[in-house]
Amino acid sequence: MNMKVSGRSARLIAATALMVTFGTAAFAQEVPTGYPADYASLIEAAKKEGTVSVYTSTDAAQSQKLQDAFTKKYGIKIAYNDLGTNGAYNQVISEAAAGQTTADVVWSSAMDLQMTLVQDGYASEYASPEAANLPSWANYKNTLFGSTVEPVGVIYNTKALSEDRLPKTYADMITFLKDNKTELQGKVATFDPEKSGSGFLHHSNDARNRSDFWDLAKAMGDDGAKIYSSSGGMKETVVSGENVIAINIIGSYALDWVKESPNLGVHFATDYTPAFSRVILMTKDAPHPNAAKLFIDFMLSQEGQSALAEGGLPSVREDVTAGLNVKTLNERVGGGLKPIAVDEGVLEYMDQMKRVQFLNDWKAALGR
Amino acid sequence: MSTHAPAPAALTMTKAAAEKRYPARMPKNGNANAYRRIVIGLLAIAVLAPVGLIIYQSFLTAAFFSPRAKFGFDAYRYVFTDKNFYRALGTTAIFSFGMVAIAVPLGGLLAFLITRTDIKAKRLLEILVLVPMFISSIVLAFGYTVSVGPTGFVSLFVRDLIGIVPWNIYSLPGMILIAGLSHVPHVYLYVSSAMRNLPSDLEEAARTTGASIWQVSRDVTLPMVLPALIFAAALNILLGFETFGIPLVLGDPNGIMVLTTYIYKLTTLFGTPTYQLMAVVAVVLILITLPLVWMQRRLLRNARKYAAMGGKGARVSTLKLGTSGQLIALSIIGFWLFVSVVLPIGGIAVRAFVDAWGEGVNLWDQLTFANFDRMLEVPSLVRGIINTVVLSVFGGALAVGIYLLVGLAGHRNWGMSNTVLDYIVLLPRALPGLVIGLAFFWVFLFVPFLTPLRPTLVSLFVAYVVVGLSYGLRLLQGTLIQVAPELEESARTTGATIGRTWKDVVIPIVRPGLAGAWALIMIIFLREYATGVYLMGAGTEVIGSLMVSLLQTGAMNTIAALSLISIVLTGAGLALALRLGAKIHD
Repeated sequence: MNMKVSGRSARLIAATALMVTFGTAAFAQEVPTGYPADYASLIEAAKKEGTVSVYTSTDAAQSQKLQDAFTKKYGIKIAYNDLGTNGAYNQVISEAAAGQTTADVVWSSAMDLQMTLVQDGYASEYASPEAANLPSWANYKNTLFGSTVEPVGVIYNTKALSEDRLPKTYADMITFLKDNKTELQGKVATFDPEKSGSGFLHHSNDARNRSDFWDLAKAMGDDGAKIYSSSGGMKETVVSGENVIAINIIGSYALDWVKESPNLGVHFATDYTPAFSRVILMTKDAPHPNAAKLFIDFMLSQEGQSALAEGGLPSVREDVTAGLNVKTLNERVGGGLKPIAVDEGVLEYMDQMKRVQFLNDWKAALGR
Repeated sequence: MSTHAPAPAALTMTKAAAEKRYPARMPKNGNANAYRRIVIGLLAIAVLAPVGLIIYQSFLTAAFFSPRAKFGFDAYRYVFTDKNFYRALGTTAIFSFGMVAIAVPLGGLLAFLITRTDIKAKRLLEILVLVPMFISSIVLAFGYTVSVGPTGFVSLFVRDLIGIVPWNIYSLPGMILIAGLSHVPHVYLYVSSAMRNLPSDLEEAARTTGASIWQVSRDVTLPMVLPALIFAAALNILLGFETFGIPLVLGDPNGIMVLTTYIYKLTTLFGTPTYQLMAVVAVVLILITLPLVWMQRRLLRNARKYAAMGGKGARVSTLKLGTSGQLIALSIIGFWLFVSVVLPIGGIAVRAFVDAWGEGVNLWDQLTFANFDRMLEVPSLVRGIINTVVLSVFGGALAVGIYLLVGLAGHRNWGMSNTVLDYIVLLPRALPGLVIGLAFFWVFLFVPFLTPLRPTLVSLFVAYVVVGLSYGLRLLQGTLIQVAPELEESARTTGATIGRTWKDVVIPIVRPGLAGAWALIMIIFLREYATGVYLMGAGTEVIGSLMVSLLQTGAMNTIAALSLISIVLTGAGLALALRLGAKIHD
């Protein structure tokens, strides 16, 4: 990937390589417990490759801990490409068509696009030794792995709404929006499913699982809900008081935001809190296949999961103590956590007719 | 995208005048025709490769590299029967014309005040009025939400004073006003250079017969600069059609959609990107541009009859404004600068140093450097800043060299190749940066000998040169045309070839102008954002495109910090430009 290595990063590589050489001598290439005996040769081969190219939708800042831990442990450089969900998908299929595959792994929150890549043959199977430690819903045929569990929730402005007024359940939310129409008029925010892949996933998953989703959509429409293409954008408006409440946002971000932002509260429905997962796959013609495997194993390992959880992305493993994990998160959101399974179900709305129908219904409900 | 600031063209008079003095029929020998054709041919390839790819893509049923792609008009059928397309087209038209209705009169007025009257602080004003042009529209829009959004600090202040916030920037009129005010410099540039070349005897004659200053400007000056005004209006309509940042940030939440945000939506609407639909909308935008180029050429041809009034060395004297006139004029300019520069930059500056803002938030309590600290911890963001500076400073210099080569190829060139040049220059401007960036990404991916360049800054540089072409070339042409033809003629008559003439006469004379052009191109490259979105990768991040990718997750703290850095860098570039004596105006 990187043709040009700056002087600074060259020195960095040299330094890490040196460190690793010494480290190797000291620990004689430790193979993690429970891993196959020949794993040492995979590590060796990965180190020879020297780089792993990651195409992702996750901001570099959020995964910096994971990246640093990986590079520190193995001395393998990460070429980190934050391309957004669509950008990552687009580059992978374009590169494959040109026979110029540069991506080794694709790590994205767009579960549907990732599953499409798998179905269309852009991914390759890899039986990760860490797979056994994942919940069964987070492993799709050893090809696509769930690496996080991120709840979908609500943020609100604490100056405008006191916590006790917030609805407890999904159904209560519909009533709440209806009953407070005057107060909330033009001050409700939600994800735009047309412009944001995440927004589409959140809403369409609700539509798959909740028969009353369209009542919610209608209630939001009656309140003159405004639509945004990012959770961060919605947070900005809720903190500033421009909006009072934002519905179906990425709750794991919100759990971090409320620690620092004044006026901001986070809330989850006790009966139903869906959660999506950032899913990772190895590309079919990955130029650094061994480094890719090592990276996937590391990301799913207890160490890697801890690094992610510390960065605010809750772990899929119950044995991770840093930050939140799938179990403690369930307690935090009130017991209604419903992770979206990594399976063909996420493809339901990739069907053009269904998708167009969904979006038309959505626009009708929102009165646009 | 709004990257392309309009050129300080207004070759209107000078070019025509030059054409008159310098015969169109040149001796075939030593006229560097081969050079001209080669350079313009190479440029045409660089421009037409991505544009051609987009046009080709629009006639396919799937991505051009997909085995399922078949030739067909399905994409056109979809777009032309989609009621959202027409809605977006209608909104875009209202937006563009509204913008022009604000920008053209104001820009014309500013040009008149600064070039034809004795307004105070002229030197300073000449620079200040251009500042809005150098802020990227995404930064601009973001800054406005913090200062004059529903809970912006200025809005809250006004609400405390009078009880209500009397404006709403999240409406079509709000967007039009903001876009209109920020496009005033684009009009000013064209009109002011036209006005500068007007002889003042006519105005003086009118004044001596007792006409008021406003009568003079209306009945004498206005008719003479009408072509420039019309052209500026047409150009701004085009700029309105490709504006992305303002509708994205201000229009989106309320569902106000324009063509560029419609294209953006097409990337996600069907789950997987539908390139053919994006391509169709891009083709529509190209088709809107072509008549504009045609019109520009016509205007330049007719401009001769206006230029005929200008005698050589006509002395330009200024109209006296008087005390109250000064006061009114300066207040108007001051208020406009406050709205279009102080408010957005103030908003960004505030946001960069706080973590939260708005109703019930005391900004002083929120004061922090954390946004910058955190940014510096992320290598890719730091690299982005470094890359942006490298690309602007060195890339900008290289770009000036390229534009000079192209400029020379078009210099005193009245042949067929010049017609080609006129048409290809404006093409990249017609396309949204996101689309042209995607096309370049494909070119670098699928053209075999180019593939090694894709993961380097070279790919971004090539795309930037093409995107900045219309601005950069006009800048260079403006400098070249100032070389008096007599100098070139005397070199030629003493037996120098045209190459020799350029090397020993033209280039030495324009050298000071090149330094200024370099600084301005630097600023244009600094504020570029949409073009790099698809091209940048690990190691080749640039600030503008990083902001677009961060916008998808909404990391506003980082975006604000990056925006402020980009503004500071732009300020430095502008200061440098002035030190180097950039001829911003002509």
